[in-house]
Amino acid sequence: MISALFIYSLRGELLIAKHAKSTPHKSMSEIFRIQVINNLDVRSPVLTLGSTTFHHIKSNENLWLVAISRSNADSAAIWEFLYKLNALLSAYSLQTEERLKEDFLVCYELLDVVLEGGVPVETELAQVAAKMSVKPTVPLDKINTISDDLFSGANRIFHRPKQDRSRSSGFSVREQSPTKPSAYPWRPLGIRHKKNEIFLNVNESISILVSRDGSILRSYVDGMVDITTRLSGMPLCRFGLNDSLSVDTPFASETEINASSNSRNKRAIPKAAAGSVFLEDCKFHPCVQLDKFDFDRVITFVPPDGSFELMRYHVRENLNLPFKITPIVTVAGKNSFEFRVTLKSLFPGKLTAKDVQLRIPLPPETVDCEISASNGKCQFDREENALLWKFSKYQGLTENTLSAVTVPMRNSSVNVQQWPRPPMSLKFEILMFSNSGLVVRFFNVAEGERNYNLVKWIKYISKSGAYEVRY
Amino acid sequence: MSDQRVFTRHKAYEIRAELQQADNKRFKASAARQKNALKKIIANITMGYLNEMASLFPEILKFWSIDDDMEVKMACHQYALAMAPTKSSHFEEALKLIQDDFASSNERLRIMALNTLSSIPRPSYYSACQKCLESVLTRSSESADLKRAALHAILNMDQADKNSARPYVSFLSQIINEQRQFPSVRAHALSVLDALNESHKDLPPMSLSHDTCFNLLELLPELNEWDHTLILNGLTANYVPQTHSESHHLIEVVLPHLQHVNTSVSLAALKLILYLINYVDSIHESIVKRLSSSVVALLNKPSELQFLVLRNVILLLLGRDKPFLQIDVSYFFVEFNDPIYIKDTKLEILYLLAKEDNLRQILQELKDYATDIDIQMSRKAIRAIGNLAVKLENSVDDCINVLLDLLDFGVEYIIQEIISVFRNVMRKYPEQDSETIKRLVAFNDSVQEPESRSAMIWIITQFSRSLPNFLTLFRVFSDNFGEESLEVQFSVLNSSVKFFVRTRSSETEELCLKILKTAVDNADNPDLRERALMYWRLLSLVQQRADSNISLDDIVEIVDGELPLITLNTRLDPAVLEELELNIGSIASIYLKPIGQVFRLNRTMTLPQSPVLNRNRDSLEMIPDTRSSKSSASYSDPISTRSRAGSSPVKKMNDHDKPAETVNHLKMKRRTTIGSSKVTRKPSILSRRISIKRPFT
Repeated sequence: MISALFIYSLRGELLIAKHAKSTPHKSMSEIFRIQVINNLDVRSPVLTLGSTTFHHIKSNENLWLVAISRSNADSAAIWEFLYKLNALLSAYSLQTEERLKEDFLVCYELLDVVLEGGVPVETELAQVAAKMSVKPTVPLDKINTISDDLFSGANRIFHRPKQDRSRSSGFSVREQSPTKPSAYPWRPLGIRHKKNEIFLNVNESISILVSRDGSILRSYVDGMVDITTRLSGMPLCRFGLNDSLSVDTPFASETEINASSNSRNKRAIPKAAAGSVFLEDCKFHPCVQLDKFDFDRVITFVPPDGSFELMRYHVRENLNLPFKITPIVTVAGKNSFEFRVTLKSLFPGKLTAKDVQLRIPLPPETVDCEISASNGKCQFDREENALLWKFSKYQGLTENTLSAVTVPMRNSSVNVQQWPRPPMSLKFEILMFSNSGLVVRFFNVAEGERNYNLVKWIKYISKSGAYEVRY
Repeated sequence: MSDQRVFTRHKAYEIRAELQQADNKRFKASAARQKNALKKIIANITMGYLNEMASLFPEILKFWSIDDDMEVKMACHQYALAMAPTKSSHFEEALKLIQDDFASSNERLRIMALNTLSSIPRPSYYSACQKCLESVLTRSSESADLKRAALHAILNMDQADKNSARPYVSFLSQIINEQRQFPSVRAHALSVLDALNESHKDLPPMSLSHDTCFNLLELLPELNEWDHTLILNGLTANYVPQTHSESHHLIEVVLPHLQHVNTSVSLAALKLILYLINYVDSIHESIVKRLSSSVVALLNKPSELQFLVLRNVILLLLGRDKPFLQIDVSYFFVEFNDPIYIKDTKLEILYLLAKEDNLRQILQELKDYATDIDIQMSRKAIRAIGNLAVKLENSVDDCINVLLDLLDFGVEYIIQEIISVFRNVMRKYPEQDSETIKRLVAFNDSVQEPESRSAMIWIITQFSRSLPNFLTLFRVFSDNFGEESLEVQFSVLNSSVKFFVRTRSSETEELCLKILKTAVDNADNPDLRERALMYWRLLSLVQQRADSNISLDDIVEIVDGELPLITLNTRLDPAVLEELELNIGSIASIYLKPIGQVFRLNRTMTLPQSPVLNRNRDSLEMIPDTRSSKSSASYSDPISTRSRAGSSPVKKMNDHDKPAETVNHLKMKRRTTIGSSKVTRKPSILSRRISIKRPFT
């Protein structure tokens, strides 16, 4: 499928060239450099020349990850693989050009483990780490967790190797005991933890687009539940959501038992949402038994040890919009605009949002802005040609107003009437608030016959996706 | 570490010296130095200095034989693989070492050895490889990883030597059916067999039996995501259902896998289901809804994957008269920071989804895009509006109004594009009121680009009856005939002849002759000259010989005949469509082109014959949801009710409004134009002030 894999630096220096199937022409790497890296106007993430196709992504650290295939390969698998590979590279701290140049042999080893004959075979960090001779530098439970500050004190499964350069020379060819087969390929037998803990994060990002007349053109929430587990043995986890199809299913009694443990979290969720949520669609980690979910809407799974993304979902109806933006934009004099924007938080007063930032794009050739804001900090950003109104904290149910008049360049040639007025956008993050109203109703773990002692943490984080208002 | 950077160009002798130096001193530090030298070799190969490094083969061989370190071994194998294209004589010596590695007890090393053996195109390596393969594949004690490597080694050998893989075909099908085999190995055997079938056109098509198919599906819970994809892909078009109930059952089994988080699994499941739908008599509407919602969920992936999914949405929309996808248009509204390729694709989808009931919404969106900062985007949006007018007959008035509104916007490139688009709209709807025409020709002087210029000429010519000053308008183009681009020259030529035959006056005659003469005498382009000559002869035929059997009416008919109405055809050829549906998620699905056109080596896929195959894809009966039983059927119920509720009244931001507990006012009132506000506050503000003390309950 993938016949070769290249990694380039930002400037187009070839760092890794892994040929999965017989060696392709040397010029192949040259072609990509010329056609894509040196081409400023790349309008597609895929390039096909002759019967050779390049799928490429660019990592956060500005590396180009490129997969080359010679036939009609499965693009979905290739792109998914490239993203997974990117995550794995970070886990082995090979994500920068410098590190990769230093330790490229580790990268080759990694590629040997994850690819077999050009077909991805294994990309879960825990499984990959078991086969590698080098340990990942990032502990297993750190991968995928968006906010890791919460767990920083916790014990780690993998210790950061203390610069042990000697490990490679000391390590020689030796018998590797084949891991015992377990019924679940993602979970080896005999995992032990002193303390059994489970961290559940409900991450949501809300996107809306409001038109000039205040009607909502589009609104949806993309949610992701990620879990970090430190559980011994072979635990079977079951958890249920207040998803509208499961609310009146027969195990309501179970909910009541568990309700007490959850009550602390429930308080954080506004009453309007306590009803039920209609999940448009959900995607699950492979460990979830999909047929069970299909039958009774309970998410049942034996988790891999460490951190992973359990499910993704999408909600479109009955959303709790956290902020209301009311812009009034008038033309004030020649080529000048007057913005009067009211920002009102609609979430409960007990909660606070952090890092709230409203970005108002300004017409071209604006040189300055007269700003007056009721609270927060508002600045004119010359580089971006936009107003940035920032709050480090924003209390619930609070209204603030911003007034600004743009000062155009003296003999500006641009006609502001023609300015397309790109939408203003808001960024924020709210803890313990759920945009969709999704609540975890119960969560229990069973290991064998006994229910063991367990600490559960649930956290809701609502973030902004594309939260845009036209004016 | 090293004093020198690894990733720089080195000469072979430098590295050799370094290696020997390290060899001489027999103490600890030497191991690290050797390794560093090896790294330099690999880095230099990566940078492309293959020939320079080729001379170091003997040194590599020396290390290979004495060192036991895994990292060194890996570098050696890497070196051998890179040297495969060279015809080095050292390979025979290396063979022995590779075989030794294969005999070791370290599993990763054995896999590496197997891989190297199969990738180096030499007969001696193949025979060695075949021996290894047999020992690995027949022994049940070997691990799954090693067996997988062996399976892929078959494919490697096959690439270089077409006959080497043949003996393994029956063996592979045996592995697929073997219950005791590792599940993952069975999945890979399936994909390897599929790949062999792809490259050997003479092999009979791989057909799996009913039992095999269900056995493989039972394996799914035990497999990881990548193996999932292999099985789902492997079953598509390779297992042929023989009865309706069989395919219904299979669809039920595959449905849950649509919810997998990995895009490739989800799309592979979608593909398999769409394939199976060709073998059923009717389909439950709830299933169709699940397909749609699973596609929606894939739209929050990274942009590359989103792009792929959107391209496949286009494919599905083109697929049937009544497409299987029922997705709200708002999902395809362009977001401000979408990459350009996603914007393009979304536009295309919006065009395809447009129907009478959502036209207003889509037009409003397109109008917004037309004023986008990105010029290309804006042009495409205008094109799309024009195409919509041609596609939906009832929409034409709305579309034209939007286009005329945009015209008043007065931006250069928007004008160019709109004029070009109007030509198509008028080819479809020739009955335009003269007001529209007049508004268009008002921009006569501002059209710059060849396409819009020739479109403007066409419009002037076609509607000259409602334009009293058409000749003046036309002269703007005809006066600089020599300097115009070829496209415009052709238009000017055609139009001048048309004017002449339509209204014969001295003015038109003069104009026509002037153009014909310039074109014949001065034009460089032979096509233009030929066409001008052709017109010239045609016209002189009537004028000179009164007895000729061509009358003026005939000429008018030829030169200025009735134009047929245009229609837009977006449908794909059914055979291509069938093939693409069997390749959802693949590269071909991005380009929406037949596979044979892009990849010459691939086999064309068609739906295999079966007694239950539907020949006419649109005749499929859709069973509406009646009573929701628990489980899958009930799943879709709320979608229908909710989406109906959601789409009818437009949601407003104000519906979500709540009274604020704290209202922060602007501290310093800025100057406003209303002077009186200094003293008295507006009553509305006052009342709010009061309400703050007692918050709303």
